[in-house]
Amino acid sequence: MDSLRIEATSCSPLIDFDPAAGLLRIEGESYPENSFDFYAPVFSWLEEYLKEPAPAVVLDIGLSYLNTSSIKCMIDVLEMLDLAHQKGQTVSVRWHYDSDNDRALDMAEEFAEDVSLPFEILAQ
Amino acid sequence: MKGNELFNLQELLSRQKLLICFSGPFSHSVIEELGKAVRNHLENEQIEKSAIMDVFSVYVEQAQNVRNYTASREALGRPIPANSGIVVIGKEDEHYVVSSGNLVEADDVPGLSAMLEKLRGLDKAGLKAAYKEQSRKPREAGASGAGLGLIDMARKATRPLEYSLRAVDERYFFFSLEVQL
Repeated sequence: MDSLRIEATSCSPLIDFDPAAGLLRIEGESYPENSFDFYAPVFSWLEEYLKEPAPAVVLDIGLSYLNTSSIKCMIDVLEMLDLAHQKGQTVSVRWHYDSDNDRALDMAEEFAEDVSLPFEILAQ
Repeated sequence: MKGNELFNLQELLSRQKLLICFSGPFSHSVIEELGKAVRNHLENEQIEKSAIMDVFSVYVEQAQNVRNYTASREALGRPIPANSGIVVIGKEDEHYVVSSGNLVEADDVPGLSAMLEKLRGLDKAGLKAAYKEQSRKPREAGASGAGLGLIDMARKATRPLEYSLRAVDERYFFFSLEVQL
């Protein structure tokens, strides 16, 4: 399967998914003009990839700001991975947050509340 | 605009401790550029990062709501009269206040006021529950947002959301929303 790479802009994050390594990175700020259009290729790539993923998959997130429609997209991404986890695949999340911003930690914790997969929250 | 009108407008605006005011067609690039300007300004004020991000994020939600609503009516073939949107960020005492206003169709008024009244009646825990419930709902086909914006603003606000809906003509109401942080 091909890797997925979308370069960051000032209002949309870097998407860098390496299928062989099982490393899925999302990094930057997310408030694109239309979040659902922006994340559509991410959803379809993941749907395909999770049929036959690497032995261990890590979603590595460093998002310093998300608008609410991007939050919804991230919830959907986490749900897809959580489902794979429940089916017995090795999937985990590393969520990096800006330690200067206490709101960022609250947000990370809220994302973690809704999933059962291993979810690490790391200050940066 | 005539000089004296401009003077009156400026005087009215400067009575609020104004950071920005924008009225006109909300394009994505306008929203982005104004947002950057607001953040730069607040960073120079040396306030906490979380406070900066609260102002920025409420501003983005309001501006994107205005833009998305306008775009959705246009897609339905019922364009809203141009330039009816406005967003203002000011400071009252120690609080930043982010406000927006735009025209909404009369049919949308009951749903909008019911939603806002519901949010005004919820405490922190109730708002979190409403947020979680909404975030789990499947997205409506064709919707440009997730229906989370107002709840998110209510969670960040330091007092219940203030709003007004004033009839403009038989088709439109002017909706204003004020979020104190």
